[in-house]
Amino acid sequence: MKRKLGGLPLAGSLLLGLAALGATPAQAEGTLKICYMSQPVIDANVAMMEKWANANGVEFEKNPMSYTVYLPKMSQMLSNGGTDCDIFWHNDDWGQLWKQWVEPTSDVAGMDKIRKGPMRAFPNDEGQPTAVPLAHTVGTFFYRTDLVDEKDVPKNWAEIVAVGHKLQEEGKTKWGYVGGMTHQNTWFSIWWSLWTNGCDIFNPKFERDNAVLDKSGWVPTLTEDCHRETIEFWWDNLHKDKISPEAMVSYGRNEANAIFMAGESAFTFADSTFWGEFNNPEKSKIAGKVGMALWPMGPRLNNNVAWDTIWAWGIPKALDPKQKELAKKALGAMLLDHEGQIAQWKGTGGPPPNTDLWPELASQDPVFAKLKEVVFDVKDQVLSAYYFPNWPAVQKAYADISTEALSGKREDIPAVLERGMKTLHDAAVQQIAK
Amino acid sequence: MATIAGDRQTASRGAIPATRRRSRLMGERLYFQIGLILPSVLVLLLFQVVPIFIGMDASFRRWSLYDPDKTWVGLEHYRYVLSDTNFLFTVLPNTFLLMVASVSLSLALGMAVALLLHRGFAAQRLVQTVVLLPLMIGPVISSTMMRWTFNDQFGVVNAFLGWLGLGQPAWLADRWYAFGVIVFTDVWLWTPWFALLLLAGLKSLPKEPFEAAALDAAGRWRVFTHITVPMLRPVIGVCVVIRAIDCFRTFDQVWLLTGGGPARSTEVFSIYVYMEAFQNLNFARGSAAAVIGTLIIMVAGLALYALINRFMDVSR
Repeated sequence: MKRKLGGLPLAGSLLLGLAALGATPAQAEGTLKICYMSQPVIDANVAMMEKWANANGVEFEKNPMSYTVYLPKMSQMLSNGGTDCDIFWHNDDWGQLWKQWVEPTSDVAGMDKIRKGPMRAFPNDEGQPTAVPLAHTVGTFFYRTDLVDEKDVPKNWAEIVAVGHKLQEEGKTKWGYVGGMTHQNTWFSIWWSLWTNGCDIFNPKFERDNAVLDKSGWVPTLTEDCHRETIEFWWDNLHKDKISPEAMVSYGRNEANAIFMAGESAFTFADSTFWGEFNNPEKSKIAGKVGMALWPMGPRLNNNVAWDTIWAWGIPKALDPKQKELAKKALGAMLLDHEGQIAQWKGTGGPPPNTDLWPELASQDPVFAKLKEVVFDVKDQVLSAYYFPNWPAVQKAYADISTEALSGKREDIPAVLERGMKTLHDAAVQQIAK
Repeated sequence: MATIAGDRQTASRGAIPATRRRSRLMGERLYFQIGLILPSVLVLLLFQVVPIFIGMDASFRRWSLYDPDKTWVGLEHYRYVLSDTNFLFTVLPNTFLLMVASVSLSLALGMAVALLLHRGFAAQRLVQTVVLLPLMIGPVISSTMMRWTFNDQFGVVNAFLGWLGLGQPAWLADRWYAFGVIVFTDVWLWTPWFALLLLAGLKSLPKEPFEAAALDAAGRWRVFTHITVPMLRPVIGVCVVIRAIDCFRTFDQVWLLTGGGPARSTEVFSIYVYMEAFQNLNFARGSAAAVIGTLIIMVAGLALYALINRFMDVSR
């Protein structure tokens, strides 16, 4: 008996260990597992697929995860041939990072209804698309309609300063402009203005073909006049004209949005997906008083520019053919779900990916009509990132250089940008994979 | 008769195989003990030891999270990290500065709180509970709270400074202000831990030396410096070593408060590793930095141990 007792824990432990090693989650036939970051627009899109799954007897398993762990976790899963997710949230920034692990999507129903431009971020080496869009995320200049008439909305940088300053002096607002500026939020202040000044991060400007950029040696534009002017514009906004708080160099979009929604800034720049939040009376003091406008232009460019990118879904290449087919059916159903896509727009401000709906929406909804006018109808569209594996490192390096330039003395800006040339170039060309 | 026979039987049975029985018993006990610890050992091996070795192996290869081709590159990543001016002249100094500032301030404040609580007063239990509150809040929550507390627009600190008619600094936009906020948060989080352990130490001290000092009319400061601190040295030593090593790997507070900014000026060791491994997705370089950090903290830990031992020897 004692012998048996002595052996029990050992046997139990071994069994437990073996069970832990050998255990795999049960995968019922007709189950779809979806991995994503929980966010109103994405949630609304997931709801469309869930509706389709329920109607077709498919078990639908939702796995929301935090944004902060999303990229490494999914990279690890995809590169190891993992099949924990049948459909996963895909972002243009990661389009090239995961291209070899992701299933081509040209055969998904409704892919002929989408806008082709933003898909330039997602081709694999054979040029096939590897994503299915779920919503457009477009950079939008927001202003307070209760403070500024539409005709007085700034059309260039100088007017941002003039109007912002005037409103501050009149005591109508604490700040003229507030936008995210720190790492991963550089778009909401520096980058949009950089593009409106005819400038970009690397030469050749506005080029996104990696082969061309490789050939050109990934040379940053930091020391060019257009770039220096952009940094000086923000330095003046922060330290001289004071239309923006000095601490803005440390703001993410949460802080910037909070200030705008508290009614303490006349202008901000954010993804259009925040439209719903800005107009939510439970969260925002300025609900119903927010307008969208064309981007105010820099001194070196006359024609308007805008960016139009997408959030999307991807399917792991490692899935078995049956699961891939099921995933594609769900995504196709989402793309063709007119009612669901209109609900997505109305509920969250996430512009629908199916362009067939746009004329109808524009005729019924003045907000969509405005968004279409200030973003989708603008001829010169900028791609708001570089689509190559070192982009996260470039993004971080750029944010550090610009923060250093904006935190120091104005006369030191050229020297900081000059020093940044090597840092930014090295971040772009470092070889971390074959 | 039956009993005697039985006893004899038992005796004879026990006389010859006694050693065998004992060894069988020992064997069963050993199996039982191994069985009890085996799950923990398995978990430790699978989730701690094996990943450490995988990480060390990765540090010698070209290994990105999105394309782990795993080509052997020898010491390339180590060379990169050890020649990175940011790592050498910003990250390491920041890490050690945070360690020294946070541990010494937490120790001093923890000692003060422990002495206060040791004296005993009417609402002592209540105060003790309140003082321990930061220990019960997760570092992520308290750091997020601190980020908003020091927000230049909505923060309580600037509101108070404004009410006093003082300037309202952009706390997180300046290197040393931001570093000060990090230290403040870390001290706020860890002072109760020091207080708790030092209070336990104070309560365990013998009364006689204090009574003798009272008879000799020694002042409070003299009693503190000549009796309390020397007798508490073992507790202080252990607290300092544990906390210093722990502080070396501080991540949550720095990540949430400043993300290592502005412009990497408050970056500490763990943020550097995280950025390389999970932001730049260069798992190999992140692993190399982690191995270098491990070696540094091993050396620092051994030096601290030696110092503390010497400190305690002197106190004996």
